[in-house]
Amino acid sequence: MEQAIEKTDRGVPVKLSKPRRLIGDRGDHFLKRVEGETGADISACYQCERCTNACPVSAYMDVNPHQVIRYVQLGWREELLRSTTIWVCLSCEMCTTYCPNDVDVAKTINHLRNMAFHSSVVPAEKVLAVFHETFVNELQRFGRVNEFWLMGSLNRHPDVLKEKIKSGALKEELALGWEMFRKGKLKILPHRCSEMKKIREICRK
Amino acid sequence: MNLAFYPGCSLEGMANDYERSITAVFDKLDVKLVEIDDWTCCGATAAHSMSEAMAVLLPAKNLAAAEKMGLDIVSPCANCFNRLTYSRKMILKNIYEVPWKVTGKAKVYDMTRFLAQPDMIQQIKQKVLRPLAGLNLVSYYGCQMVRPPKITGFTDYENPQTLDKIANALGAISLDWSYKATCCGAAIGIGRRDIQFDLSKRLIKKAHQAGAEAIIVSCPLCQNNLDMVQNEKGGLKIPVFYFTELMRLAFEGEKCSIQNFRMHLTDPLPLLRKKGLAD
Repeated sequence: MEQAIEKTDRGVPVKLSKPRRLIGDRGDHFLKRVEGETGADISACYQCERCTNACPVSAYMDVNPHQVIRYVQLGWREELLRSTTIWVCLSCEMCTTYCPNDVDVAKTINHLRNMAFHSSVVPAEKVLAVFHETFVNELQRFGRVNEFWLMGSLNRHPDVLKEKIKSGALKEELALGWEMFRKGKLKILPHRCSEMKKIREICRK
Repeated sequence: MNLAFYPGCSLEGMANDYERSITAVFDKLDVKLVEIDDWTCCGATAAHSMSEAMAVLLPAKNLAAAEKMGLDIVSPCANCFNRLTYSRKMILKNIYEVPWKVTGKAKVYDMTRFLAQPDMIQQIKQKVLRPLAGLNLVSYYGCQMVRPPKITGFTDYENPQTLDKIANALGAISLDWSYKATCCGAAIGIGRRDIQFDLSKRLIKKAHQAGAEAIIVSCPLCQNNLDMVQNEKGGLKIPVFYFTELMRLAFEGEKCSIQNFRMHLTDPLPLLRKKGLAD
């Protein structure tokens, strides 16, 4: 039984710190927690896979949306927080819209992303994880998000910079950035909002 | 009639042509847009996945400012519209303690839906100086504007009509296609360009197959994304317009300068010249 669970449906091996029992370690604790925090009726899912079929990016996920719901029911927190799914999700809300049982799948994935962000688990998509963090930092700096400053801070992050130089994306991005600047699409001087103190307080909540 | 205008961060930066076209269009209509003073970011697309509190409280400042003005809000950006509507719904439920004085009485309109109301369509028809005859369009709504229907209030979320109605009122031909509300993947472009390119290129291809010569959108992210993925040698080229750009073109007629389209990465001028809409 244990061997079967070591791999997800797509054959992606999941490295676990310890062998996993079928039901999560603490009963339905995780299910109740996620249900309580999101307000989504996750127990109502009957695995019809309509969310996965509607999802435009399910082919790029290691844990499909319907499996995310199942994993939450089973309490498999670690697999979920390690998955690429929570970072690849576009929040396009197809899954939520088409669910026959009104399970808010997108909100659940969103919440798991939030959990992963606050946990010690290493994110599967590093650049996307850093992007989310940078976005919030930029928001706290000026109150509005300026694309030029956002991309600047993102590319200054050592992990992102390393990855982008390795894949050659940096050169491409600089060329695109120059093209955008030439077309007048970049606002170099950001606007600073008043009441920044209250905004920072919200971001710290 | 006055409306509070919430532009959103993109309209200051990479979509400032959208903002200029909106200003020009609303100058001609009997609606006055009053920009919300000192507005802040609504938190799309990253902040709301970081914490629920940010999702509700960040847009609340703008809702509070609009309430102070006593006006309803109109938002041109699909993401902002979605976040503002969501925040308003949660404020009405009274779960969070909001640091600003806000009751949630100011309604939030999406700009296309506001302009697609029967009386506004009537007004648009009257203002058209140069009909966009013979221009075959597909309208692309994207994901955040129509979904989830419980938040946005779109009942026709599988086949939304607001942009089509506006395009038809301008004299253009809006074609049917199945990808009106399929996500273009703009949000993921930062980390996974492969996914972004796959999703957007499929949209471009399908628009071409539907017989479209141009795509009209109302979301700044969608426009930039769909425009950008065509920015390489070879391949299909379909100009992507903001719907207000075409409204401006129809309203201003001969006077509409081709400079208004200079920010497009996929040059729309050959198409407009072919249709006799630009000189």
